[in-house]
Amino acid sequence: MEYFDSSRLNALLLFLFFCIVVLAFIQRARSGGNLFIRRIAGLNAIEEAVGRATELGKKVLYVPGIMSIDENQTIASLAVLSHVAGLTARYGAELDVPNKDPLTFASARETVREAYLHAGRPDLYNETMVHYVTYDQFAYTAAVSGTMVREKPAANFLIGSFYAESLLLAETGQASGAIQIAGTAEVAQLPFFVCACDYTLIGEELYAAGAYLSREPAMLGSIKGQDWTKAAVAALIVLGAIFESLHVFHGLKSWIGIN
Amino acid sequence: MSNLAKLTSIDRRWIFLLIGLGTLIPVLLPIGFPVRVTAPVKQIFDKIETFGPNDVIVLSYDYGPTTGAENDPMTDAILRHCFSHDIKVIALALYPLGGLTSLTASIDRIAAEYPNLQYGVDYVNLGYKDGGQATMKLLAEDFSGAFPNDTHGTPLSELPLMQRVKGARNAQLAISVATGIFGEWWANLINAQYGLPVAVGCTAVSAPKYYAYLEAGQMIGLIGGLKGASEYEQLVKDNYPATREAYANPMLQTASKGMDVQTIDHLIIIAFIVIGNIAYFADRRAKRA
Amino acid sequence: MFLKVRLPIMLTFFAGLIPIVAFFFVDGTPVVKKLSNSLEQDMVIVSGFALLLGVVNVVQGNVRKIEPREKGWFYAIVLLAGMAFMGLFGAAGAMRLFGLPGIGMMPDGRPTPFQWGSLYMFTPLQATMFALLAFYIASAAFRAFRIRNLEATILLVAAVFVMLGRIPIGEPLFGPITEWMMQVPNGAAQRGIIIGAALGAASLSLRVILGIERSYLGLDKNE
Repeated sequence: MEYFDSSRLNALLLFLFFCIVVLAFIQRARSGGNLFIRRIAGLNAIEEAVGRATELGKKVLYVPGIMSIDENQTIASLAVLSHVAGLTARYGAELDVPNKDPLTFASARETVREAYLHAGRPDLYNETMVHYVTYDQFAYTAAVSGTMVREKPAANFLIGSFYAESLLLAETGQASGAIQIAGTAEVAQLPFFVCACDYTLIGEELYAAGAYLSREPAMLGSIKGQDWTKAAVAALIVLGAIFESLHVFHGLKSWIGIN
Repeated sequence: MSNLAKLTSIDRRWIFLLIGLGTLIPVLLPIGFPVRVTAPVKQIFDKIETFGPNDVIVLSYDYGPTTGAENDPMTDAILRHCFSHDIKVIALALYPLGGLTSLTASIDRIAAEYPNLQYGVDYVNLGYKDGGQATMKLLAEDFSGAFPNDTHGTPLSELPLMQRVKGARNAQLAISVATGIFGEWWANLINAQYGLPVAVGCTAVSAPKYYAYLEAGQMIGLIGGLKGASEYEQLVKDNYPATREAYANPMLQTASKGMDVQTIDHLIIIAFIVIGNIAYFADRRAKRA
Repeated sequence: MFLKVRLPIMLTFFAGLIPIVAFFFVDGTPVVKKLSNSLEQDMVIVSGFALLLGVVNVVQGNVRKIEPREKGWFYAIVLLAGMAFMGLFGAAGAMRLFGLPGIGMMPDGRPTPFQWGSLYMFTPLQATMFALLAFYIASAAFRAFRIRNLEATILLVAAVFVMLGRIPIGEPLFGPITEWMMQVPNGAAQRGIIIGAALGAASLSLRVILGIERSYLGLDKNE
């Protein structure tokens, strides 16, 4: 019996190409190759936001999105949370991380605890910093908005996977006068964040955040590999459009799986 | 600063008040604007029209009561269309509260309008299952992997309709009426991996992103927000006159009635944008002076 | 070290790799497809049980507020009472205890206590939160859409066209323009962001599977 699904050969080739390019760049980065990653304003502003909260004696609110840990945006958000928690530990600012998903909550708690430990300030960490609110999207939104209105955090981080609550949170935060840094790959929510927040990480910038902040060569290498794959995909799209417009290589179209 | 320029920092509560009035008044005093049907909605209607009595549609209630004002009219219209056209429906929910509040309430209410329908033969209510994409992949292969029983606790093997259709991939069409990311999952997982035609009904705020999937052929149609729902309602009413009686109920909050609110509120927002810009220029001029 | 670092990374590697491998095999392929399906079922079960973790934390956090009469302690009681009401009646209904036929409607058409709480308390509260969007969109639009420069002007004009194109009054004139804007410029931009984000997600997935990205486990690169 034939076990391999030959209709997915195209996907396998792209998958292998992607893996090879990314791994090659990771290897290059590890062996000391110089990799340029462009400036991401939203990530550079994190320290300023935490510093401002410290000066004002107000808390830093970090919302890691509303999805579970099986969502990549949540994992990317936890990488940023680790950096933010490291800064709040260093500066002695108060950190508040309300959670909607229980698995994200467990990971976020571990992330913050370790960040405080690595910053050499385990004494500043307490269990109530990262807490669970509710599994319901809008009850969670109400609770977080309430915190923004009552406690007026100086810095709000809205980073992860957001849906209809994005504007509710961002507008409430804007009205409370906080500096706001948002990031999501949910394209429908990006306009809301752009309107209501000071900085917004758009799509892949969020996925790159962990690598950008850690400056770890292996992570930066994967970003570079991803960029080259994107360039290859863009070139294929252009070629495909040209071939299709000129009515050549029709077999290619059906092989890719477009009917 | 001139009075005009002061408008740039107008108290947002004035905006809230006008939006509130613009919402309340058309609900109490409906206007009844005409509805023009667009292609993405018509494509779903036309696709269902091509089906016969042996064909099955999977209708996924991927939303909760929060977006019910936008999504409920979509599921109601789709169910009326399917039941009027004698298409079999397997309904399920992947969103918390979508099963209990939206699906069960909706399917029981609409099925009651069709006394000849037989539960288990013409339609099935599988209820809600947590797990998102994992559940979706399971039910694509085999419904009983994700839903061993229907919402009444009956094993799927005892339901005639479920004996005919093993997994969602064996149906003719899947329609996800969705909030958030669920519609994308149907396009990415079910259409891309199993080739099942997928249509999505979404909230207006999510509609722009779905156009990318629509244009790429990963979805056969799109019902975008209240506007899309009102178009589907119009198509059902025009093609199945018997449904007009249900839609004539003055207590029923239909999408067509909701469009009155949307019209007034859009006009208020546009007016505020114009006022905001006049004030902005007045402010700039005052600062230069 | 093994339990905290190596084991989670090894589990992540296999749990990440199996569905990828399974994707390239036809149905009925032994071992790999079954393993992949079993992982998906496990995910559903784990996510259900994880809720318990959240519930325990909510109880702990709110009891902590009630005991020393912290500011807002009364609301903590309301929250715990609401949670107990819905939780107990939900569980009793699901297990068909105390004569409850489930969590939906009674045979006589009356709602079960869980359904009552859901229909008359929870649903209106949820809908109210979502409805706030209408107000917030208006205030955000008022603030954001200003003719500051060329880009902002294009944004403003597009927004007004779409708003007019999606209502019956403006539809005859702006409807076709709106459809074109949605399908062509919007569709192109969305695809660009989606493709970029998908590759970003794939790159992150690869980092997670290979154990390079481990901050979600609370670990740093040196561990």
